[in-house]
Amino acid sequence: MAETQSASKSSDPMEAMREMRDAYLGVMSKAMIDAVNTETYAQVTGAMLDGYLTAATPFREGLDKAMLQGLEQMSLPSRQEVVALAERFTNVELRLDDIDAKLDRIVSLVSERRTASKAAPATRPQAAASAVATSRVSRKTATKASAPVARRAKAAKSTSARKPGPRKG
Amino acid sequence: MSEIEEQWRTMSRVLTTKAAIAQTPKELVWALNKARLYRYIPVVPLEKRHAIPLLLVFALMNRPSILDLRRGHSFVEFMVSQGYDVYLLDWGVPGLEDAHLKMDDYILDYLPRAIRKVKLLSGAQEFSLLGWCIGAILTTAYAALRPDDGLRNLMLLTAPLDFSDPSKLTFARWTDEKYFDVERVLAVFGNMPGEMIDYGAKALRPIENYVVNHLKLWDNLDNPSVVESWHAMNTWVTDNIPMAGGAFRQLIVDLYRNNLLMKGEWIVRGERVDLKRLRASLLTVIAQGDHITPPCQSEAIISRIGSTDTDVHRVPGGHIGIMAGSAAHKQTWPYIDEWLGARSR
Repeated sequence: MAETQSASKSSDPMEAMREMRDAYLGVMSKAMIDAVNTETYAQVTGAMLDGYLTAATPFREGLDKAMLQGLEQMSLPSRQEVVALAERFTNVELRLDDIDAKLDRIVSLVSERRTASKAAPATRPQAAASAVATSRVSRKTATKASAPVARRAKAAKSTSARKPGPRKG
Repeated sequence: MSEIEEQWRTMSRVLTTKAAIAQTPKELVWALNKARLYRYIPVVPLEKRHAIPLLLVFALMNRPSILDLRRGHSFVEFMVSQGYDVYLLDWGVPGLEDAHLKMDDYILDYLPRAIRKVKLLSGAQEFSLLGWCIGAILTTAYAALRPDDGLRNLMLLTAPLDFSDPSKLTFARWTDEKYFDVERVLAVFGNMPGEMIDYGAKALRPIENYVVNHLKLWDNLDNPSVVESWHAMNTWVTDNIPMAGGAFRQLIVDLYRNNLLMKGEWIVRGERVDLKRLRASLLTVIAQGDHITPPCQSEAIISRIGSTDTDVHRVPGGHIGIMAGSAAHKQTWPYIDEWLGARSR
């Protein structure tokens, strides 16, 4: 299949023309790349730009003046006035973005506080339960580990239980 | 005869109409002046997505749609399908009221605000940045100026950062102060016109851009795949936008003529851009056949920054071809995905 394709390609006169064309363009391309990389090219394009700016500046200035007068007569804002207005809009947008950032920060702080205050009552019973469980475990461990120590602890507990506390009412 | 007619119709359609580009679904999430921040609609379930969002920052003088050229051949589409939360910052088209905008404004006003929104929407405190061409200058300067903002990964594509050898830079020769009066140009136009930038880019390789490119279309008029690809690329190439005057002045004077960034002397809104402060993981992708940003401009950054995690990926191809050419989905995108994926957990 590939052989057939290559055979048909080689017999296609247009293909030979294309190859010649591409080879020529390859040579031209290299020559042009070299040409644009020279100081002479930079100098020539610089001079052309300079010429354009020299020619365009008075024309532009004249057009701007005429436009300004025309707009004034029609009671319409000039380009400079519109530009100044657009700049002010951008400044307002910047301030709005600052306010948006501050609001986001406030919302985030409020939600953090809410989460913390919701979590706080829920944590207390949990902490109490875990403390009881820990004390149970430690008591069991203590019983297993050393009976005298456990007995002393029991005695201490009963003593503290019998201790009279401050009377209320 | 009908075949010739058909080819003629194809040729005229491709040359006179615009292709449907930038079609990946997205939503506008933030706007400031002409800048727009888009978030691409995720296609991967939340639990399978990467934790760190990715913000794409393109050049100032072209549309960012090159990152999302056409369905089935779009970097954005690829990254979204790989599970990234992808955002795109489109700088927009500057008007005369933006002629004063400098790189300082883009780096310290627009970029941090867009990043704040990315963090807010993604819920992540860290993020990755991808800067291409001038976008790489902006992201590099931002990364050095704001190293504590949460930037984890920085990817630079064809980054013009080092201007130390003007003999290798055709643009540097053309914009030398002997031949190019930047103040005069900006005094007349306000912003640098898109047509002039386009001419400059094309004139670097005139035969390729003005002759060979069209012959390629002519030779392949019976190949729909090549025709559609050419149509999409031509739509992007011919959609030129101006560059804000202040930013263009800095590009020529501060960077092309004085190489201030690499010398460590570039001052952005009163702050010196110290590359040593850049600590994010860094990948720089270099196009070996790039005539707009020759490889020598992107190489030196690695030795100047404070990052310890750095990588250089060299790809055969040109300035745009490495990301939008027919081999991009094999040579460039998977490498970026692999590098970033490992650093986005």
